[in-house]
Amino acid sequence: MGKSEFTALKGIDLEFGTGEFAGLIGPSGSGKTTLLNILGSLDSPTEGEAIVLGQSVSKLSAKGAARLRKESLGFIFQSYNLLQVHTVFENVEFPLLLLNYTAAERKKMVMDALEWVGLTDKVKSKPPKLSGGECQRVAIARAMVKRPSLVLADEPTANLDAANSHNILKTMETLNRELKTTFLFATHDEKVIGYLKRKIFMKDGLVDHEELVNN
Amino acid sequence: MWLAIKLAYRNLIGAGLRTWLNVIVLSFSFVVIIWMKGIVVGWDHQAKTDMAKWQIGAGQFWHENYDPFDPFTLDESYANIPKDFQKSISEGTITPMLIVQGTVYPQGRMQSVMIKGIEVGQDVLEIPSQKLDTIVDAVPAVIGQLMARDMKLGIGDRVTLRWRDVKGTFDATDIQIVAIFSSNVPAIESGQVYISLQKLQEMTLLVDKATIFTFNKSFAEVEKFTTIDKFVLKEKGELTKSIDEMIETKTVGQSVFYFILILLAMLAIFDTQVLSIFRRQKEIGTYIALGYTRQQVVGLFTVEGAMHSILAALFAAVYGLPFLAWQAKAGWTMPIDVSEFGMAIAQTLYPVYSVGLVLSTTLIIVVVTTIVSYWPSRKIAKMNPTEALRGKIQ
Repeated sequence: MGKSEFTALKGIDLEFGTGEFAGLIGPSGSGKTTLLNILGSLDSPTEGEAIVLGQSVSKLSAKGAARLRKESLGFIFQSYNLLQVHTVFENVEFPLLLLNYTAAERKKMVMDALEWVGLTDKVKSKPPKLSGGECQRVAIARAMVKRPSLVLADEPTANLDAANSHNILKTMETLNRELKTTFLFATHDEKVIGYLKRKIFMKDGLVDHEELVNN
Repeated sequence: MWLAIKLAYRNLIGAGLRTWLNVIVLSFSFVVIIWMKGIVVGWDHQAKTDMAKWQIGAGQFWHENYDPFDPFTLDESYANIPKDFQKSISEGTITPMLIVQGTVYPQGRMQSVMIKGIEVGQDVLEIPSQKLDTIVDAVPAVIGQLMARDMKLGIGDRVTLRWRDVKGTFDATDIQIVAIFSSNVPAIESGQVYISLQKLQEMTLLVDKATIFTFNKSFAEVEKFTTIDKFVLKEKGELTKSIDEMIETKTVGQSVFYFILILLAMLAIFDTQVLSIFRRQKEIGTYIALGYTRQQVVGLFTVEGAMHSILAALFAAVYGLPFLAWQAKAGWTMPIDVSEFGMAIAQTLYPVYSVGLVLSTTLIIVVVTTIVSYWPSRKIAKMNPTEALRGKIQ
């Protein structure tokens, strides 16, 4: 049996501005996660071009892509992807270690980030001791601690109950408003969709339609 | 690099029991290898020290025909004591020895022996030659423990000794054992009878003759002579060459044991690394998403594996240092009788350690652990980060 080819995305033409709170919405297999991975420079388009913060993802070297992620992007995953043996503080501190901040700077920035998500009392806890909602708040703090230009959130509420989902989304909404960070979600969760200011509906790798929410 | 070390340390400590099991196994390798090497060095040290004390001193002069492995050379291996040695002999820095073949008849059995004529009261060698002036109604003789055991002789026992003088005439007399010594040097004990040099010279009609001379560190003439009359200088290094060869052979054999020991420890590390790469896929993907390159993740996992050996070295120091220090003091007594090994080996060996031994062992284990850690970690470089993030790599 040979390898069968699958086209995940076709004819996508989108542009996101600073401070947007947007989401790619669609069922499984619609291509939203693939698009998010390309924008996060974790994957590369076989055709076409994805320009993130002025840099073409397909033209970036491995080091260049790593630098882009390290300096400018934040990721929030469905299953949190926290470092299990590290404490909450160490998890949030990790991106700052890569950016060579001093210990004093790191401490202040980590505590600020934990304050945004309301977890200053859990600095010494490790992920296995936290609830799902707390883990995702740690993931948000980790994504936001370096004040990235763009945060990519892949199904951030999929493993959370309604109360925790709203809590998380409100936190992200506040950060988006106060820090002007661009948030881009991949989701099919109605709770998330309700918070989005720009909704891009995808189907079979294509953009089906868009909706803008006016406040 | 510093960041990799910091993260690796956090990961290892965080991994808990899994880390400590590897560390314990590896630390055991450290301690056992250092201990075993220490035993070999200690044995080498002891064998050479005992040989020097009992057999070869600081060096010897041999009659040019003398070959200790060919008894037939003994008939022609004697010459007059050189005049240049007289002063040193009287000062006690060099001592002559006459060696001839003989036969003893313990309990009616015939046993070939070497009869060694040694100066009464010499102190170049530790053979208790002062006992040879004991007044008994036979020729006083000193023998080693091995000979005493083999021939069932004790102090005070008498036995008939037969020899041939320089003219080829056989003669015999009774000797009486006046002392039995224990030296750890089988070559000077087994089948050797020590009697007064003067007496042996009289018995063999080899007056003023000697076969070998043994000198101590105070013998100043050694710089002057490489040969003197018919005697040839044999330096200490040459005389202990057999020990070096034996130790070398033993070291090769032990290396196989070290290899197996390190291999077992490395299997544990390798296994941990392979498991980590599959079990920690999401973590690997997360590192990449947060800004690490795949090569940096390979580096992190390699440092993590290598750090097992650093922790093991520290852990080994905690229990290994007291153990090794105690062993150096108390020694290791072998559970079997070593006197029949036929080599210069003490029943209790005292390991000798050096900074070089500890550092080289540590370095070898750290390097091997790093290589073994890197080997499976290379797979990370081929991982697709999006697949890794979802933990979908098989």
